[in-house]
Amino acid sequence: MIETLVLGFILLLTGLYAMLSQKNIIKIILGFSIADTGVHIIIVSLGYLKGRRAPILDSAVNIANSVREVIDPIPSALVLTAIVIGLATTALMLVFAAEIYKRKASFSIDDYKELKW
Amino acid sequence: MVNPLYLIIISLLAGFVMPLLDKVNRKLSLATFMGVLLANTVIAGLWLRGFIQADLGVLSFSTAGFTAPLSINFQLGILEASILLAINFIGLFTAVYLAKKFAERAVAGMILFMMVILGANGLILTRDLFNAFVFMEILSISTIAIITLKRTNESLSSAFKYMLASGIASLFFLLGVVFIYFFSGSLNIDFININFTDYRLIAVYMVAIALLIELKMFPVNGWALDVYESTDAGIATIISVINSTAIAFMFYKIMPLLPNNFLYIFGIIGAVTYLMSNLMGLKQENAQRLLGYSSIGQMGLLLASIIFTAGLDPLIRLMIVGGFFLNHLIAKTGLFWISGLIKKDKLKDWSVLKNNKAIMIMFGAFIFALSGLPPFAGFWAKWEFIKTLIAGQNNFIIVLILLGSLFEVVYMFRWFVQSVKGENELSPVRIIDNVKVVLIILMATLAFGLGIILMNDVYSLNLMLVLPIIILLVMYVIDFLPAKIKGLLSLAALAYYGYYLYNVIQLENPIQIFFGVIFLVGSGINIISTLNRSDISKGFYGLLMMMIFSFGSLLIASSYIEFFFSWELMTIASFLLVLRGKNAQKAGLMYMIFSIAGAYLMMVGFGFAPDLMGDSALITSLSYVQLPLISIILLALGFMIKSGVLGVHVWLPEAHAEAEADVSSFISAILLKAGIWGFFLVAISVVWNRPQFDVYYWIGWLGVFTALVGAFLASFQEDAKRLLAYSSMSQVGYIIAAISMLSHLGWVSAFYLSLNHMMFKSALFIAIAGVYYRTHTRNMYEMGGLIKKMPLSFISVLISIIAVSGVPPLSGFGSKWLMYSSFIEKGWYLQAAVLFFASAVSFLYLYRLIHTIFLGQAKYEHKDVKEAPMWFIIPQYIFIGAIMVLSTFPNLLIRPLSGMASQYFNSNIIIDGYNIYSSYGHWNGNLIMLVTMGVFIVPLIFLMLFVGRITKVKQFNIVYAAERPESPQTTHVAHNMFAHYRKALGGWGKPRIWDFWNSSAEWTHTLGDLFRRIYSGNGQTYLLHIILFFVLVFFLGV
Repeated sequence: MIETLVLGFILLLTGLYAMLSQKNIIKIILGFSIADTGVHIIIVSLGYLKGRRAPILDSAVNIANSVREVIDPIPSALVLTAIVIGLATTALMLVFAAEIYKRKASFSIDDYKELKW
Repeated sequence: MVNPLYLIIISLLAGFVMPLLDKVNRKLSLATFMGVLLANTVIAGLWLRGFIQADLGVLSFSTAGFTAPLSINFQLGILEASILLAINFIGLFTAVYLAKKFAERAVAGMILFMMVILGANGLILTRDLFNAFVFMEILSISTIAIITLKRTNESLSSAFKYMLASGIASLFFLLGVVFIYFFSGSLNIDFININFTDYRLIAVYMVAIALLIELKMFPVNGWALDVYESTDAGIATIISVINSTAIAFMFYKIMPLLPNNFLYIFGIIGAVTYLMSNLMGLKQENAQRLLGYSSIGQMGLLLASIIFTAGLDPLIRLMIVGGFFLNHLIAKTGLFWISGLIKKDKLKDWSVLKNNKAIMIMFGAFIFALSGLPPFAGFWAKWEFIKTLIAGQNNFIIVLILLGSLFEVVYMFRWFVQSVKGENELSPVRIIDNVKVVLIILMATLAFGLGIILMNDVYSLNLMLVLPIIILLVMYVIDFLPAKIKGLLSLAALAYYGYYLYNVIQLENPIQIFFGVIFLVGSGINIISTLNRSDISKGFYGLLMMMIFSFGSLLIASSYIEFFFSWELMTIASFLLVLRGKNAQKAGLMYMIFSIAGAYLMMVGFGFAPDLMGDSALITSLSYVQLPLISIILLALGFMIKSGVLGVHVWLPEAHAEAEADVSSFISAILLKAGIWGFFLVAISVVWNRPQFDVYYWIGWLGVFTALVGAFLASFQEDAKRLLAYSSMSQVGYIIAAISMLSHLGWVSAFYLSLNHMMFKSALFIAIAGVYYRTHTRNMYEMGGLIKKMPLSFISVLISIIAVSGVPPLSGFGSKWLMYSSFIEKGWYLQAAVLFFASAVSFLYLYRLIHTIFLGQAKYEHKDVKEAPMWFIIPQYIFIGAIMVLSTFPNLLIRPLSGMASQYFNSNIIIDGYNIYSSYGHWNGNLIMLVTMGVFIVPLIFLMLFVGRITKVKQFNIVYAAERPESPQTTHVAHNMFAHYRKALGGWGKPRIWDFWNSSAEWTHTLGDLFRRIYSGNGQTYLLHIILFFVLVFFLGV
């Protein structure tokens, strides 16, 4: 569906913009999360076919004709995995954020460039 | 055999069980951990064996009871099996390497490590793109988490930066995969059968870019460098080797989906990455960061090689890509492990290795391997890769790669030289961790083993060519013997080798025999001077014999690769020999850099050369091929670098001066001739197949100016060895000019000059070695009056310089006479005039040798100096004797030389009795000798008989008017003797070439420094790089 696809891309770009423009590490992580969500929405909307049902084979769906009645189930399956992985990534980022905050008491990304060149 | 799915399943199970086991006992969890890694390695090994034993083809393993594309499937062929084995093997041993650390830290460390391996295994096996995404995430998340095994602020913040970059990359990857599915209806690489050419391109592009980011291509790799610098050496190994390999293989798998123009751009990105990261590596001072730069560079090379070898014969492709891959894998693992062992961040602190010979040798082996020197895999891979690039007309890529390679050689060898020779105040490290040492030895063994397999099984080099390596090992085994015994054994080995070459192999061409005499007989006589060594001289004879045997290999090499292989062995041996000198740090490094640069030119030159017919030695087969102009120029340049032609001669005086006294004569008298031999081979190919453009006319001029400049520079030296070095340069100029004439007389005189130069320069260097041995100085103005103390050395120097200068009656006159005749015959009058002038200049420096060292007042501190030791005198007099004989009976030599040259040109000298006729006159060496001797002896007798009393002036019979000068030697005429000539030359006397090379080096370093500033250390900047990279590369491709 085109609207959600656009929405997904808007979220993705917003997220990327946030990652590039925000100095605060927590906000950068939020930016990543937003971008990630955007990607998830894009995935789901790519699999969506107008006027069809969710790909759950219950009594509401005619099993024999299910291919023409439900949306493409694969993106939906993929997005579940992607969400889980996104969660893990975000969690690990937050752990790092917490850990480096403990040491330097700063959330500004500019304060963490001891290594360079 | 075991289903490869178990590679994943076992690790997963263990991952769940290990925390429980750990509650019971740490040993249990550790054992499980090691057991899993071992099982993985064994499974991969069994599969590889299976594939090697039987042609199983490519197997597919499906999951969940469906076959692809309905389910995820794993593919396992011989390629996958080999890579799996390689990375699981490295994984296993890195785990052993880190065992202590794992035992101390929480169990999570082990689990994460296992997950890294799991992710890599999965990524290699899977054919499903989404599954690949999952494995890639497992791989990166666990890699990032394990970076913090070393808990420092730096490792935490660099892990965070890595996380950001990898997060963005995985977003790209995921999007790309989903779009690929959307466009093609499949997630399985084997079932995607549409062309991504139009707007759909963006889908595969995103996947590819994500992989390039994960592969740390330039410039999207700043975070990776920080990680390499901050993490534990063992973990850096994992990132550099396992992580990168899995992702590179993933890229290989999606290559069929990518359109060609994008593949080409990605290939260029790989080559540029190689160039840039090595350029930036030049300014590094931190060891692990430097290794990081090198790792990134190697990945770029690997990527470029994967792309540019597409469509090639699988075996050759395997040679190239597999060679680069395994070379990087082994050498980098070894280097990171050494780094973790000695725990020194700063490169210059690595000189603590100085006292640890075993580790030092392995360190050197890894550095040689990374620099692509034989016998290691990288050498063969580079050779084949350059050939492939030439065949594909990717000349631009060659420039990128060879330049990058050269930079890598510069910083790697600077590091090596610094570690071997550097001064350090630090106390040497005591290596207590034997496990790590054993592991490092294992890696070094692998590196050698792989090289030997390639050498024997792929290139089937015959034993003769491998002999230099064998003799090195043999001499290393008997290294405990005293130097004299080893020297005598070396002489015996050399004698047998020469006999074998002459009688058993039977060289096809008299020219081979002639150069054989220069290389082998010359070396043999020179070895006598090394017998003066009284200590054990560890390693010396091994290297020396390796060098001498490689000269022999050069003579019999029958293909380009054999020649190049022997050439590089010779370079390695001579580099290490030079490096033995006390202050040879800079000299050795310069020698190596120039040699490698020359070798690269040669490699490309050979790459452009047409295939040879038959398996006769190069000297025969080369005369039947027509080398293209580019080949001639590159090869000639490469060889001229080795013989120290003007412009690229700067390494020469340094190496000659700083090498050990008895090594210098080998370098000057014999090693330079190897360059001449190569130069000569190229000329042979031109005799019957002249190129359109008369390149030899210009090379001839180059030789002429080399002779002139060399002579001038020699005159201005205070250091005797430097003087002789520049004199060698000058003499080589004559030889190059003579060969360039491409005429009978020219070549006869070139041969004559070569042999002559070998003899008198050996004698001179050995004489100076004797003087140095007694006086402990190389500065001539600090000597003087040694004629009485060292009369034998004086006579030998006197005779040698008469031979050099080309006045009658000695052989030098013959060579000069032949040479001027040939110039006139060729019509090169101006060249002849310049050379004549150069000869006149050479009188200046020759005179200094006699005047400043042997005549005048003896210095007080030399009052007890004795004649040079016998071992120095014997070889000198052998050479002097030979010079005298050949001067008296020149036809002994001229006749065979004329025969040698007349294989290629019509002879125009006639030899009749003692007379030699050319079209410009004749020469009777015998008569001249008699006349001269007469002229010399009659007045001598007269003087002895009729001159009565001689007043002897005692030393220090001088009264200074006022103060005694601080260093009286410098006020003597002998110091800066030809200052007025230098003044007369004006600005021309300044060594401009040095300025050129120095400023090139400085500029390169500054450039590298400039570029590396883009790695600001700020995680956000790195993100910006990624976004810009993503956009820019896309538009480049479209």
